[in-house]
Amino acid sequence: MNPSIIGQMAVSGALMGLVYALIAYGFQLTYATSKSINFGQGELVMVSAFFSLTLTNLGLPYWAMIPGGLLFGAMMGLVVERAGVRLALEQKGEGWILLTIIIGLFFFSAAENLWGRDDRPFPTPISADPIHVVGVDITRLELSVAVGVLAIMGAIELFKRRTLLGKAFEAVSADRDAAELMGISATRTVMLSYGLSGAVAALAGILVSPITTVGPTMASALILKAFSVAVVAGLDSGFGVVLVGMFLGALESLASFYLGSGWREAPGLVLLILALAVRPTGVFGKATIRKV
Amino acid sequence: MLIVEDLHAGYGASEVLTGATLSVKKGTLVALIGANGAGKTTTMRAISGGLKPGRGRVVLDGQEVQGLDASRIARLGLAHAPEGRKVFGPLSVEDNLLLGAYSRLPRFFGYRTSARADLDRVYDLFPRLRDRTKQAAGTLSGGEQQMLAIGRALMARPKVMLLDEPSMGLAPVIVQEVFRTIRRLKEEGITLLLVEQFAKSALEVADYAYVMERGRIAVEGTPAELGRDERVLAAYLG
Repeated sequence: MNPSIIGQMAVSGALMGLVYALIAYGFQLTYATSKSINFGQGELVMVSAFFSLTLTNLGLPYWAMIPGGLLFGAMMGLVVERAGVRLALEQKGEGWILLTIIIGLFFFSAAENLWGRDDRPFPTPISADPIHVVGVDITRLELSVAVGVLAIMGAIELFKRRTLLGKAFEAVSADRDAAELMGISATRTVMLSYGLSGAVAALAGILVSPITTVGPTMASALILKAFSVAVVAGLDSGFGVVLVGMFLGALESLASFYLGSGWREAPGLVLLILALAVRPTGVFGKATIRKV
Repeated sequence: MLIVEDLHAGYGASEVLTGATLSVKKGTLVALIGANGAGKTTTMRAISGGLKPGRGRVVLDGQEVQGLDASRIARLGLAHAPEGRKVFGPLSVEDNLLLGAYSRLPRFFGYRTSARADLDRVYDLFPRLRDRTKQAAGTLSGGEQQMLAIGRALMARPKVMLLDEPSMGLAPVIVQEVFRTIRRLKEEGITLLLVEQFAKSALEVADYAYVMERGRIAVEGTPAELGRDERVLAAYLG
């Protein structure tokens, strides 16, 4: 084992792991306000990536396409909230689990019909040329993933801490009923969290697609790892998902290099099983784990 | 200022309130007393919208509000400092106070400046909170949390304030402090509906009082009148 290769693999993998962290962060946003998550989040990543690809193919420059993609993701997040979550939560039920899965399947079919079943390349102006940083080569593309993920998470965390609307978001997570007594609409806050979560999913799609290509099946690989990260890191710590995401990404990259690419998915699954075995109720709360 | 007529409300099939009627005039302090389980807290929740009333009317400053969302009723000028205080534990003392004024502050920036005068007023009323502005509300003592809950309700500059069991779970010396605060709020002309288990202390500060039994008002009157009522004397003021 060559230490410089290990370092190279670990760093590359860790940067990719930030995409899992970002998707898991999307879970955290909606869980905070509504104790619900979108089980079709992977499909949301996928349709947003396809939509962004279409914008690019229509001739929109990369930097103009990004806000369009984020807006689309936010709107799809609102669709999920309205169609899959709100009624179930009003009835204090857990119907949102099945409903969000179904909406995800709907997105999947829609994508297959609209864009076809093939994986397609996602053009980007960011070059794949490596730059040399303390003994390892990092491509600009990989670096863009890290910058994008940390920028949007940082922006959302700043929003939560510095603006009154953000503090209202935190108040609803802390005590929904008391927040209502302050004149804060919990329903609107939940909508906001789903909108943000959708935008975050769209950015994950835009960042990862130039590296992995876009296809209807890209959701399943991403979502499982995002779940692993969310379960291990918990659903309240943004810092936690970043650390766990990078760790899982590094582990995957090393596993696929040393054991063969078929083993790439293994660390995520092992991590998920371990986390659930050590904390059998899981951090999702009992109801969710019971039904997953 | 606040009129409640024939209010029915409950949890699921069990009806706790079976026709409560009361009113609070502008600038007065009205106490609602009664045994545990009589429906005092349910009355408060049905007024502020945490619980949808099955029947009856709630009129706030001339406007019917029954059946509206709690957040809407709060924006119309009702501040409810709920039973158990319900401060936002992970947020700082000052953030809790700022959120109390949520409905009339700018949502993004400049909200702290807009709220400066109200913050100072609350800090003057509760100097202990001024020393702890950055501290997480969940780490305050019970008495401090109660002060924060009252201060948070004040921040809204409400037309009517509901205070539910402000002395619950507090040491006797702190309870006295809470009652001193309530007296001051009254002197400032704030319209208050107070639910209390310490009936005697509540009647000392109230202008008018209602005694609740099994989901409806059993007796009402000025504290002096209630003090002469033998049934009330025996049951609540003994």
